[in-house]
Amino acid sequence: MLKKTAINKISELAVQLMQKGTLIAPVQEAAGFNFREISDAKQVNLNFHNTILSPKAAFFPQMEDFVQYQTGQSIMEAVPVELNVKPTFLFGVRPCDVKSFEIMDIHFSGTGVVDPYWRARREATTIFGYAFDLDEPAQAEEFYQTLGIGAADPDGSDIFMIRKGETLLLKGITPKGEKLLTQLSRLADGSANEEEYFRNYISRGRDFKTRYTCVDDKNIAKKLEDIFDNGDFWMKVSDACLSCGVCTFVCPNCYCFDICDETLFGKGTRRRVWDACMFTDFTLEASGHNPRAQVFQRLRQKIKHKYSYHVRKYGVISCVGCGRCTRHCPVNIDIFSIVEEAMTV
Amino acid sequence: MEFEPKILGIACNWCTYTGADLAGTTRLSYPQNLRVVRVMCSSRINPSFIFRAFQLGADGVLVGGCHPGDCHYNTGNLYARRRLAVTKKILEFAGIEPERFRVEWISASEGNKFAEVVREFTEQVRNLGPQTKFKIEREPMPEKI
Amino acid sequence: MSINFKHIEDKLKTEAKKLLEQGKVSIVLAYGKGYDDHHPMPYVARNAADVGNIVFNEFCTANLARYLVRYPRGTKIAIAVKAADSRAVIQLIQEDKIKRENLVVLGIPVSGMKNSKTGEIIDSKTTCGLYNPVLYDILLGKEVHGKSVISPYDVLAEYEKMDKDARWDFWKKELDKCIRCYACRKACPMCYCDPCFIDQNKPKWGEKSPESHGNLMYHLTRFHHLAGRCIDCGECSRACPVNIPLYLFHKKVAKECEEMFGQVAGMKIEDKPTLVNFRVEDSDKILE
Repeated sequence: MLKKTAINKISELAVQLMQKGTLIAPVQEAAGFNFREISDAKQVNLNFHNTILSPKAAFFPQMEDFVQYQTGQSIMEAVPVELNVKPTFLFGVRPCDVKSFEIMDIHFSGTGVVDPYWRARREATTIFGYAFDLDEPAQAEEFYQTLGIGAADPDGSDIFMIRKGETLLLKGITPKGEKLLTQLSRLADGSANEEEYFRNYISRGRDFKTRYTCVDDKNIAKKLEDIFDNGDFWMKVSDACLSCGVCTFVCPNCYCFDICDETLFGKGTRRRVWDACMFTDFTLEASGHNPRAQVFQRLRQKIKHKYSYHVRKYGVISCVGCGRCTRHCPVNIDIFSIVEEAMTV
Repeated sequence: MEFEPKILGIACNWCTYTGADLAGTTRLSYPQNLRVVRVMCSSRINPSFIFRAFQLGADGVLVGGCHPGDCHYNTGNLYARRRLAVTKKILEFAGIEPERFRVEWISASEGNKFAEVVREFTEQVRNLGPQTKFKIEREPMPEKI
Repeated sequence: MSINFKHIEDKLKTEAKKLLEQGKVSIVLAYGKGYDDHHPMPYVARNAADVGNIVFNEFCTANLARYLVRYPRGTKIAIAVKAADSRAVIQLIQEDKIKRENLVVLGIPVSGMKNSKTGEIIDSKTTCGLYNPVLYDILLGKEVHGKSVISPYDVLAEYEKMDKDARWDFWKKELDKCIRCYACRKACPMCYCDPCFIDQNKPKWGEKSPESHGNLMYHLTRFHHLAGRCIDCGECSRACPVNIPLYLFHKKVAKECEEMFGQVAGMKIEDKPTLVNFRVEDSDKILE
């Protein structure tokens, strides 16, 4: 079933979604677009290429409170923070980012250890995927096609959206999405012509070229493993790295966090906040020893985790080629260039 | 209820703290709004102490040190003078009233001056009202379910 | 006058090659190819063969002085610097982080550099507004003359005349955006503390989570730590993924330091950084 609405009537659709639950959608801010919880339906803006921060925060917020406690009191007195999850609509997610949720599922619920926070949010959320504009060339930073993700790949979305001129076509992909679509009265039915367009667009998306050609992930994993000890190589590629956390914070697949106790005047909150393997104190041990004290060790870890260890362990590269790390790196380090270079060592 | 300002005093061991002692032994009265912390020298004061004090709910911060030239460590207060001047400008540009932060040179013999400064500063801060900008508001603990 | 980037690149290559071949330096800090022409990267040439990879174009904005402290003391380094970068080098020499005799400074006079993220010309109001390097051994290219040099502090007027409550609202809004990726401190040539105060646990100076008060503590203290040391290159603001105008605060502190202590950061090797220095005749007026 194909539905449609005019792009300039998006806010009407947003209003309807907001009545059903929480709406998280791209919003234009001073620095660029970002996914935010919508309070004013007019804020929803689909004229973006991709957001600064990835939509992972919808399931894995940068800061998540677990427990509130008072110092000096028994552990039994601590109060767990209730997870208050409402039906959520994550609107306008690019296909590469949709794919990232699937990879993140491995860590948060796929390995037998289930993160209740991630899972509850994941189950309560309906994902509206949104195809890239195929008439606009891919940005230089992006390489999702290399990793087998099409520019209009509906896999993983509950509802998939394609823009056709000034019209937005929506199609239910999962039963959950189908059901939701029938409830949205603001949408009109799509014509057979548009059905055709939708199908063609998806297959056209598969051939949409981003900057790299395909590479075999097993080969990459093996090669990276082999050159672990090649200090000269890692030193060379990390010469420019500042070791800040931008790349990991904007990454849709980075999931490292730190548990902190923030106590003030005897009252405290135990919470998790995003951490980054690029920070010096990420691996600092209580003894004072730091196994990854140098920049090259940290950059090596980051790259190998995504392209080597992750492939060995879970069979999939922990990267979707969205290009955010490259786009926002203060010194323009490009992760895939390093991988490519590693293959020639 | 009338607003009673909370004022953090940071006083150097050799001059201002001793001056405060003198004010006490000579039975001078000054407002009780001041809580004094003793440090060995005014140059020991990390500017973060001042930011933190405002965050933790101080309405004003008063720093006391030896008169320039009289520092027990010869030059400590001369460094402190420059540093704390910058602190004041930073507070001002961040949008907090610079009058909430004051540095005074009070020697060990100036019990009178100490009482006078505290009186004056307390009034000044009282007139400014509660400091809410930096203050960290904590939500009360939720009821146990 | 337009800048001949190709000419500078060629000279940079020649000089780098000479220095490496003669063994005068063991590394050359310059710019190299990034993933495309608009995104060059800092590059370290370690031997004459590496020199071919050096590039210089209008997108080479990174402040290479940031990397100086990464190498062991005594390493002979040649570094390509633009105006603000040379001031960072001077400031690092003042702070005894590097020795003048271990450095070969390759000065590059430029104007109209572009931000590789936006592709736009960097507004000189957000940087120190100088065109010629202050310190150099070899000048690559011609000095820029006849440019109207605006005061680096002009941009502040608008914020200084703001009501203090409005200014607080402004900073609160800006600092609340912070995601604590610490790109600002990592891009800053003067931020070399290990560990940074905000990473310390005992004492814990500020909250690690990206909340208003932790952000405020981190940024205000960082502004303070850079008082009299910030050389106004604007790297922190350009590195920021959420566009916090950090340069404004740094400029304000620099301006106050200049007015109070009569010294500009990173202009003379013989100077001492203002906050580790004093004059007996400093006036108590500065505290008012």
